Amino acid sequence: MPARRNLFATTKARVIGAFCVAAFLHLAGTVLIPGYSSPFAVRAMLVLASLLAVASIGQTLVVIMGGIDLSIPFVIGFANVVAAQLYGDGWNFFLVCVLVGVLALIIGGLNGLISRSLDIQPLIVTLGIGMVVQGLVLLWTAGFPSGSAPQAVSSFVSIGGSAGPLPVPWLVPSLVILAALVVLVLERTPYGRRLYALGSNPGAAPLALIDPVRMWIITYAASAFFAAVAGVLLLGFTGSAYGDVGQPYLFQTIAAVVVGGAALVGGRGSYLGTIAGVLVLTEINTLLIGLGFQPSAVQAALGFIIVLLVSLYGRERHVSATI
Amino acid sequence: MNHISRLMSLARSIGFAVVLLIVLLAINLVLNPARFQPGSWGALIGLAAPLVGAAIASTPVILAGRGGIDISVGPLMGFVNAMLIQVLFLKAGIASPLLLVPAALLIGALVGAANGFLATIARIQPIVATLGTYLILTGVTLTILPAPIGPAPGWLKALAGPWSALPLAAILLAWWLVRRLPYHDQLMAVGSDDRAAYTAGVDVTRVRFIAYVMTGVLGGCAGLMLTALIGSADPNIGPTYTLIAIAAVALGGVSLAGGRGGVAGAVVGAVDIFLLQSVLTTFNVSTFVLQIAYGAILVLAVMLTALQERLAMRGR
Repeated sequence: MPARRNLFATTKARVIGAFCVAAFLHLAGTVLIPGYSSPFAVRAMLVLASLLAVASIGQTLVVIMGGIDLSIPFVIGFANVVAAQLYGDGWNFFLVCVLVGVLALIIGGLNGLISRSLDIQPLIVTLGIGMVVQGLVLLWTAGFPSGSAPQAVSSFVSIGGSAGPLPVPWLVPSLVILAALVVLVLERTPYGRRLYALGSNPGAAPLALIDPVRMWIITYAASAFFAAVAGVLLLGFTGSAYGDVGQPYLFQTIAAVVVGGAALVGGRGSYLGTIAGVLVLTEINTLLIGLGFQPSAVQAALGFIIVLLVSLYGRERHVSATI
Repeated sequence: MNHISRLMSLARSIGFAVVLLIVLLAINLVLNPARFQPGSWGALIGLAAPLVGAAIASTPVILAGRGGIDISVGPLMGFVNAMLIQVLFLKAGIASPLLLVPAALLIGALVGAANGFLATIARIQPIVATLGTYLILTGVTLTILPAPIGPAPGWLKALAGPWSALPLAAILLAWWLVRRLPYHDQLMAVGSDDRAAYTAGVDVTRVRFIAYVMTGVLGGCAGLMLTALIGSADPNIGPTYTLIAIAAVALGGVSLAGGRGGVAGAVVGAVDIFLLQSVLTTFNVSTFVLQIAYGAILVLAVMLTALQERLAMRGR
């Protein structure tokens, strides 16, 4: 038993474990379902996984810091609808993106400021702010958003697209670069070090001259920003605006982060792990739908598998081991 | 003296929520006296009961601390709803309260035990473990009940009308009895500092496991009250209660970090949210404005609670 316990004791081992599970699931899919590894199916999976990976960047950062962000699906819906609406009204798309990005940064900053400076559970704050944001968007569009995505965004995420010589849309290589940047920021910059320090010991971090309020504002702002990016990308993916487009991402981002080996108490986790978690979730989803399950059964199976995976390598320490 | 100091600490922990309750009640009475006259209290309580029940159900695991939370309470209510009406009443023809009520509690206890096993023995982080059961319960509910169906037995519908106070009173009485037990002290000790409790000889795992089972049983009760209110089976209503119930608990001064607050606070918080919904609907605004006000007041309320606690700390 002790040997097995040590096997997944480090974050790195958990990440490798999650990648192995994803690879195994893909192998199982290839054996069970004809055409599972066909170029089109793989491309579709890569695009879906990339979208979830973008939405999960913020959740990863926030969770490492010891928080949680429930406003992600609402911000995704907000960016999705506002971008489509303004672009449909004839705005310059670059200007639209800047505006949406700035608004998202403000929403996220507000989340962090309120949660940290008053010491309120971020669960409640992000939920409340998210509901306000969604309500405002609904009010503005009267519930019927219009508009569409510019061609550039659509081809950027299109499953049939290609990036130069690569047979995948630009989204996939861009995500690889973005992921490398996020990993670099987490591992090699003062910000990353502060994030882990604050997450592992919120009491000691201020003594190391880390300003918790500032860190929370920055990190939640980043989370909302990446959620907004995911919202605009989803606009290109689906073609038209839809306020609830982000809803599946509420629990999926949390699941991806946790399957990737992060601890929701903070201080532990990595974006590479989240990517592994995203791949696992995408594989499970595709596999179950490919096997002919109903959406409701897919959901039930997904819940079961998440619990099973986390019980394999994401267990917490017994209280006697924390003394 | 002891009683007074306990009363004081109670007032401090739920203080702001109680003030909000009184203000909202007064606004409701002025705006809509007909709805709040004694004759319609039964229906009114029945309307609020599922949310109050869900908030009470969410409380024990939150009190148990170390990230304890059960987001599967809402789906559990939906699952109980579907099982009672679709499987037991319509398919098996069981209509007796003597069988249906224990069935609801048993389903709740089993789901609670499963959550407890995952969160305390398998030691999966509670929010992830109950997210798993959330997805499983939602999926299974939609499988056995793809579309809403009715009706519910007559006695069950009466629980949303004239007899609506009965299940709530039973729950509160049961919790009052739990508070008399040494278990309650152990629960609060584990919630405030599990390491200290463990070194003092408290079986932390057992205490937390029982908290999950209690949440499950109470969630079964809430499912019963939901069934009474809608008088039918609907697979989509249950899950919507999860986050609102947790918001109600937080509003009622129960610390999500554990060990502070109690069921009384959760009830006050849930009634606050219910009265708030009631005020907003009387203004007859669009559901969009409703949602904005709702979210904004939720954030404002927890902010004011936090500020008030801060002042109270400084005053001591």
